[in-house]
Amino acid sequence: MPRWWNQFQSLFYSRFRWLPERAASRVRRPTDIPMPPLASLRRPLSEARVGVITAAGIHFAHDRPFDMANKEGDASFRIVPGDVHVEDIRITHDYYDHSAADRDVNCVFPVERMRELVVAGEIGEVAPRHVGMMGHLLGSQAERLVGATAREMAEIFLADQVDLVLATPG
Amino acid sequence: MGLVARQIETLGIPTVTLSVVQSMTEATPAPRNVLVRFRLGQLFGEPGAVGQQQAVLRAMLKAVDGATHPGAVIQLPYRWKRESYPAPVGLAARAQDPPMS
Repeated sequence: MPRWWNQFQSLFYSRFRWLPERAASRVRRPTDIPMPPLASLRRPLSEARVGVITAAGIHFAHDRPFDMANKEGDASFRIVPGDVHVEDIRITHDYYDHSAADRDVNCVFPVERMRELVVAGEIGEVAPRHVGMMGHLLGSQAERLVGATAREMAEIFLADQVDLVLATPG
Repeated sequence: MGLVARQIETLGIPTVTLSVVQSMTEATPAPRNVLVRFRLGQLFGEPGAVGQQQAVLRAMLKAVDGATHPGAVIQLPYRWKRESYPAPVGLAARAQDPPMS
């Protein structure tokens, strides 16, 4: 499928909420990662280190963009530093309308809002590394996520001793 | 997204997952789900709407304690623009930027 067609369709998918609802209810999804028991917060939110993982297709401007040629998507991920300037973030994702997030990335990746909540004392600190990935993973790329990259992404937060991870789609 | 959140939670780190597509959340629930009736691509709100974006972010933070069982879904009552959101907090960070010349 040419990229322009996916981008064109994404305008409708973002505008009419029933479209993604209908599409999602028809897709058979892999459920190979079992539901774990709820983990508990190790310290109060006002002291917690908070990270973000987003499937909105964000990456650092000079990083390799996500592969839009593979119709099964791209299960790789990109590291976004916690102190990133929002002007240095790009979005590569043809399957939702990111024109609003191109103007203000906080629409999908609330890194500046988190910094404000740190100033206000509502959370402790922003994690040193966030993770950007893309949704819309099918077939072999969905298997790659379940078999490999989901674990790799999770271990980044573990290594950085992150207390809470906020996960957002596109 | 739900699967990745499960993987992170499996390592002992609590997660909260935002969603705008209810059927996707029901198909693959994350450990804690926050559902907001906004558009794809504007999950936290409109561009530049600091108060609105902070409100959704704060709702996610609250869900850490608000979710009672794995897979719980918390629906947010927000109605996009037809809502009065709390005044933005923490803008002192921005006030320290050098003035525009």
